[in-house]
Amino acid sequence: MIRLEKRHTPLRHPNLLTLLLALATAFITGALVISAYGANPLTAYSLMLRGALGSGYGLAEVAVKAIPLTLTGLAVALAATMQLWNIGCEGQFVMGGIGATWAALYLAPFLPPWAVLPAVILCGAAAGCLWALIPAALKVWTDVSEILSTLLLNYVAIIIVEHLYFGPWRDPGGFGFPGTMTFPQQAMLPRLFGMRIHAGILLALAATAALAVMLGRSKWGYATRVMGAGPRAARYAGMNVGRNILLVMGISGALAGLAGMGEVSAIHYRLQEGFASGYGFDGIIVACLASMQPLRVPACAALLGVFLVGGEQLSSFMQLPASISRILEGALLFGFLLGETVQRYHIRFTPAAAAGNTDA
Amino acid sequence: MNAPLLACEGISKRFGPVCANTGIDLAVHAGQVVALLGENGAGKSTLMSIIAGRYRPDEGTIRIDGQPVQFSSPAQAMQRGIGMVYQRFMLVDTLTAAENVLLAADACGRRLSMKQVVAHMRTLAERYGLHVDPAARIRDLSMGGRQRVEILKLLVQNARVLIFDEPTAVLAKPEVAGLFDVFRKLKADGRGILFITHKLDEVMEAADRIAILRRGRIVAGSEPGRINNKLELARLMVGREVVLRVDKPEMPAGEVVFEVHRLSATSPLGGFSDISFSVRKGEVFAIVGVAGNGQEALAAAVAGRTPASGGTIRYRGTAYSTAAWARHRPRALSYVPEDRHHTGSIGSMTLADNFFLTRLDKAGNGPWLDRSHMHEETEQAVRRFEIVAHSTRTPAGTLSGGNLQKLLLAREMADDPALFIAEQPTQGLDIKATEDVWSAMLAQRRHSAVLLVTGDLREALSLADRVAVMFRGRFMDIIDTQDADSVERIGLLMAGSTAAAPAAPSGETA
Repeated sequence: MIRLEKRHTPLRHPNLLTLLLALATAFITGALVISAYGANPLTAYSLMLRGALGSGYGLAEVAVKAIPLTLTGLAVALAATMQLWNIGCEGQFVMGGIGATWAALYLAPFLPPWAVLPAVILCGAAAGCLWALIPAALKVWTDVSEILSTLLLNYVAIIIVEHLYFGPWRDPGGFGFPGTMTFPQQAMLPRLFGMRIHAGILLALAATAALAVMLGRSKWGYATRVMGAGPRAARYAGMNVGRNILLVMGISGALAGLAGMGEVSAIHYRLQEGFASGYGFDGIIVACLASMQPLRVPACAALLGVFLVGGEQLSSFMQLPASISRILEGALLFGFLLGETVQRYHIRFTPAAAAGNTDA
Repeated sequence: MNAPLLACEGISKRFGPVCANTGIDLAVHAGQVVALLGENGAGKSTLMSIIAGRYRPDEGTIRIDGQPVQFSSPAQAMQRGIGMVYQRFMLVDTLTAAENVLLAADACGRRLSMKQVVAHMRTLAERYGLHVDPAARIRDLSMGGRQRVEILKLLVQNARVLIFDEPTAVLAKPEVAGLFDVFRKLKADGRGILFITHKLDEVMEAADRIAILRRGRIVAGSEPGRINNKLELARLMVGREVVLRVDKPEMPAGEVVFEVHRLSATSPLGGFSDISFSVRKGEVFAIVGVAGNGQEALAAAVAGRTPASGGTIRYRGTAYSTAAWARHRPRALSYVPEDRHHTGSIGSMTLADNFFLTRLDKAGNGPWLDRSHMHEETEQAVRRFEIVAHSTRTPAGTLSGGNLQKLLLAREMADDPALFIAEQPTQGLDIKATEDVWSAMLAQRRHSAVLLVTGDLREALSLADRVAVMFRGRFMDIIDTQDADSVERIGLLMAGSTAAAPAAPSGETA
């Protein structure tokens, strides 16, 4: 029998412990799955590591994944500071892609060349923001749980984007391929060092620094933390909670929208099938691993990036399914939850028989 | 004498830098009621939790019938016959009394059938006067009824030592008598009882032995017969001479700061109607009443938390509608709410953060926080109000009730508000903290009109110049505390009796 008992003395390095537990759980689970495919887990892991970290190309690819993951991770972490659960980053990411694509293909012809890229960026952020404001408004005025509404709106966003690239926005010269036309040159976010790593990294790092400073040092950040940690105290202090829910969810959605914008305007150069690839959902894992601290988000995003890039190596070189990296991710989150439990409880194993002995 | 049922020898427990218990020796013999007294933060709850198996001691031994034991969980302690009734009952509200008893037995590894439980409960009810309908749902029971279920939970498992954490705090007067009756029967049956209390008269009435904890140590153990009076007991607890006395220097009343006229509201808290009064600078005006007579709703309306539905409010010469007042209030007044843990403060945030909860505009220039200024100002308040805290960076949740309340007072008094409102400011506080809070409030008269909402008559009479007695949402009368004859009537008025005096139509008597 397993029993949980509350801890009364907090652990010394709770977050580090959680991270290590998460990693250990992921590696052990992954090892089981890889062995089940008849492969050697150690070979597989070393291949993953070498693939992700062993070359400049690998590192650049890790950064390519880390850019959207940082942005969606920040989006989740910011909302969580106010005890809001934005499970809808995937949808906001998708809407960001739609907004950016609209600006690149349909607004650009009316703009001077220098204004195109800023318009693409702004429209991406704005679309994500507006999509996140729907659940925020529902929460403020009708008390609908944002967990459900953000989650469900993901699927709505995905259906909309599918409709667009299969239907009205499909490239007429694309031989039936589900995707829009390629972006004009001015709408492309510049890439760096001749690799796929792109200027979105600057946006992601700037957003990280800005959020860390705003949450930690500004009165708005203070109020936001109060509303998260003590909702009753916030009302007592006369803080406008509803307005801040709208603001925080709006910013959160804009961050996720920026992530989607980066993917279309720096990686794919078009909106196409497979665009909703899970960066929004992965943002939740990133934010959890980062214990909702903005400054820790980029590193955790990079960690997850290593998993994703390494996973691709497995399919290329060991004929293992690439979805193993998804399994590792899932195990990472479970390991994180386990770590949270260990932080708060002692886990005791008691033989079931012992309990019965005392019957008088 | 036989070995005591329960003996603690040299128990010590540290939480980080804080020594909650140091070298505690305590024994409970069969047929004995031991009262454990001490201020908040003296280490009583820690000691109880160690005995009941919730914490493990860092040092020391617990013996049962002379045998050393070690518990790693409350269930193990229960199996050895030690059970605890917590102040906040551990019952499932939606289940019946019998189901709760069954659940508790099950958690300790005793498999009983519902029939056995019900039969058991019936026998125990007969024997100890613990009458509870086994089929009644917990949510339908009175506090006393719930407490009886808690006791039955322990007795069904043959508890021989029963520990109670402030068992009378939640009970009405007749229920307290009933509880002490149960104590006597348990005693006669050779069980041991250990109970924590703040109330000195209960000790004199129910205890065979007294143990007094101060700063984690037992400072005195005695029999009630050897202690002459409550004053002496109180002195042992606090460790100094001054007991429940507050110096109230004369203060000339200034201009009328706050005035309400025919205020009324309906609310889930009970509502009120036709309330009129005024408070002057330099004056303490108290509103007293038995809980649930509308004073909670009135306090919420006066503090602008929930707008009243009718009437007018005048603040420093300007009239406000009730709705306008609810919008205006954060800048107009200071308010110490009843719930200091969840409303008045945020446990997970630092002292400095909490010190600026209601005064964010003072926390720095423009949109930014000035951390060093915040800590400096908090540090000053900590010193001035003698708040015992590790540093201004510790989470407020680690403070004892009294220290937390002093932090709240310091915050709400920091900007010299014209109107200072405090709701149940000393509820659950020990004597020393109560005194500190009282003197701070009296000192505040220099700058403010003070409005006190309290259920504690002693508090109202110690502090207030005038006392409004509230019953069923109305003011029965407003009484001058200098007028000894009128003061006599307050108790009757609180009970709603108008026989002694015609209910003054909520008038301003000043």
